[in-house]
Amino acid sequence: MRTEKNIGVIVLFLLPALAGLFLFKLYPILSGFAQSLYTVRFLSGEKVFAGLQNYVSLFTDPVFWGSLNVTLWFNVIITPLQIVLAFALALLLNAKIKRIAWFRSIHFVPVAVSVPTACMLWNIMLSPEQGLVNSILIGLGLSPQPFLSGSTQALGSIIAIASWKGVGYWALFLLAGLQEVPVSLYEASSLDGAGRWKQFVHVTYPMMKRTLTFVVVSVTIANLLLFAPMYILTKGGPEHSTNVLMLESYNNAFQYSDIGRSSAIVMIILLITLVIVALQFRWLKTSH
Amino acid sequence: MNRFVRSHWLLYSTHAFLALIVLLPLSFALVSSFRPLDEIFKYMSPITWKTFLPTRVTWDAYVSLFTERGFGRIFFNTFFVSFVNVIAGLAVGSMAAFAFVFFEFRGKTALFVLVLLTFMIPFEVIAIPLYSLVNSLGWIDTYAGIIVPGIANGLVVFLFRQFFLELPKSLVESARMDGASWVRVFANIVMPLCKPVTVSASLLIFIQQWESFMWPLIATRSKEYKVIQVALSDFVTEYATYWNEMFAAAILSVIIPVLVLLPLQRYYVQGIANTGAKE
Repeated sequence: MRTEKNIGVIVLFLLPALAGLFLFKLYPILSGFAQSLYTVRFLSGEKVFAGLQNYVSLFTDPVFWGSLNVTLWFNVIITPLQIVLAFALALLLNAKIKRIAWFRSIHFVPVAVSVPTACMLWNIMLSPEQGLVNSILIGLGLSPQPFLSGSTQALGSIIAIASWKGVGYWALFLLAGLQEVPVSLYEASSLDGAGRWKQFVHVTYPMMKRTLTFVVVSVTIANLLLFAPMYILTKGGPEHSTNVLMLESYNNAFQYSDIGRSSAIVMIILLITLVIVALQFRWLKTSH
Repeated sequence: MNRFVRSHWLLYSTHAFLALIVLLPLSFALVSSFRPLDEIFKYMSPITWKTFLPTRVTWDAYVSLFTERGFGRIFFNTFFVSFVNVIAGLAVGSMAAFAFVFFEFRGKTALFVLVLLTFMIPFEVIAIPLYSLVNSLGWIDTYAGIIVPGIANGLVVFLFRQFFLELPKSLVESARMDGASWVRVFANIVMPLCKPVTVSASLLIFIQQWESFMWPLIATRSKEYKVIQVALSDFVTEYATYWNEMFAAAILSVIIPVLVLLPLQRYYVQGIANTGAKE
C-alpha cells in the first residue's frame, strides 16, 4: 500500500518543508559561493566574474588577517572554557541535595535572556564610570577596569558575557546526559575500588560521549558565528580587538556594499567550521 | 558525619555564589527599571543598600516605552512573527516528518540526509546570501521577509520524525484499512498523539524567533517591522541616556520567555537533548 502510487500525497506532505529548506537554507549557501566569485565594478556598478580574486585580495589584506586572528583566539579560549565550566556546573547541579531544583531553574534563566539583552545588561554593568562591577571593585579596594572600552580587555569581557549566557544552557544538556548514566555502574565501580576521578574517566565520560559530542559541536558552531556582542557592544573595536570574521563580513556587505568580499568571508568561516567540526567528531570517536 | 556536613555546606555556598552571578544583572535591571531616571546612578558609588534597592518606585520607564518609543508595535510584531512561525513551522515540519516515516519512495534517505544537513546551518552563516534572495523577491521590510525563510526547520522535522518512529505502524495501517485518507490519518489519528513533541517543537521555534537578531536586523529597515531584539540594540545606540527605559526594555524582553519556559523547561531540554542523543 505504501508505494509510489501515493506520489501525489507524498508531494503534498513533503513539498512545503523541502521547498523551504532548499530555497532558504541550501540555495543561499550555493549562491553565497557563487557571489564570492563575483565583484562589483566601482563606477558602473555591474557584476563581473572575478574568479578567486576576492579570496586573493582577502589573503593579502592585514585587516582580514587581524580579523581571522581575533576569531581564532576568541574560539580557542571560549569553546574549551564553556565546555569545562558547563561540565563542572552539570556535575554540581547533579548533586543530590535539597532544593537542587531551585538552582537548576536559576541556571535555566539565562536561556530566556537573548544575546542582545545579555549584551545590553552587561554593557551597563561593566560601564567604566557608573557600572556596578566597578563600584564593587572599588568597594573591595581594587582599581576600576575599562572592560569593554579597553583593547586588552574587550575580547575577554565578551567571552565572559557570552559564557554567562551560555554555560547554564549547555550544562542542562550535560545534566540530562549525567542523569541517564545508570547508578548501578557507579556502584559496581566503587565496589571495584575506583575513586571519584577513576569513576569519571571510566564511567561518566564514556557514557556521556554522545551528549558531549552534541554539546561540543553546538558550542563550536555557536561561538564561531557569534556576532551580536561585537555588533552591539564594540563594533569591532577598540583597535580592531573584537573584529571577528562574522562582523567583518557583515560590515563588508552592509557598510561597504561589497557582497562578493562579504560572501568570500562567509565561505571561509563555513570552511573553518566544517574542518573543526569534522576534527571534533573524529577526536570524540577515537578517544577511548 | 562531620565531613558530610562540611561538603554539603561547600556545595550550597558554591551554588549560592553561582546563582548570585547569574541573577545579579537581572535583579539589578529589575530594580533599576523602577527607579526615576535621575536616581539610576545616584547611589552607585560608594555601595550601600541604596545601590540595590530603590528609594522611590515608579512605573515611568515602562509607560514611556509604550507611549514614546513605540514598544506596543514592537511587541505586536514580535508576537505576530513568533506565532505565525510556530503554527506554520509545526504544520510544515510535522507533515514532512510524517512522509519520511510512513511512506516509501525513491531517494528518501538522500532527502532526509539533506534535511539533517540543513539544521546544522545556522541563520548567521546564510544571512547575507539570503538577503540577496529575499531582496529579489521584494520581501525586504515586510513580515514575509522575516517569517517565511524560517518556517521550514530541519530540527522540527527531525524531532517529529523521532516521535513518529515510536508509534505503532499497525495504528496507521488499520486506519487506512478502514478507508481513512492520508490527510485524515495525519490530522485526526497521528497528530493528537503528539502532544509532548508538539510542545517541545513549539518552544524551540518560539524561543528561536523571540531571540533572533541578525536576520531581522538585516531583513527590516523601517520602524514598522522592528522586532524586540533589534529594537533593543537600536535603543542602545539611539537613546543611550534613558537608562531606566533600557533596563525596562531588557526586563520586558526577558520576562516573556521566562514565563513560557520555566513551567515547560522539561519539554524544552528533552526536545533538544533527544536530537543530540539519537542519530
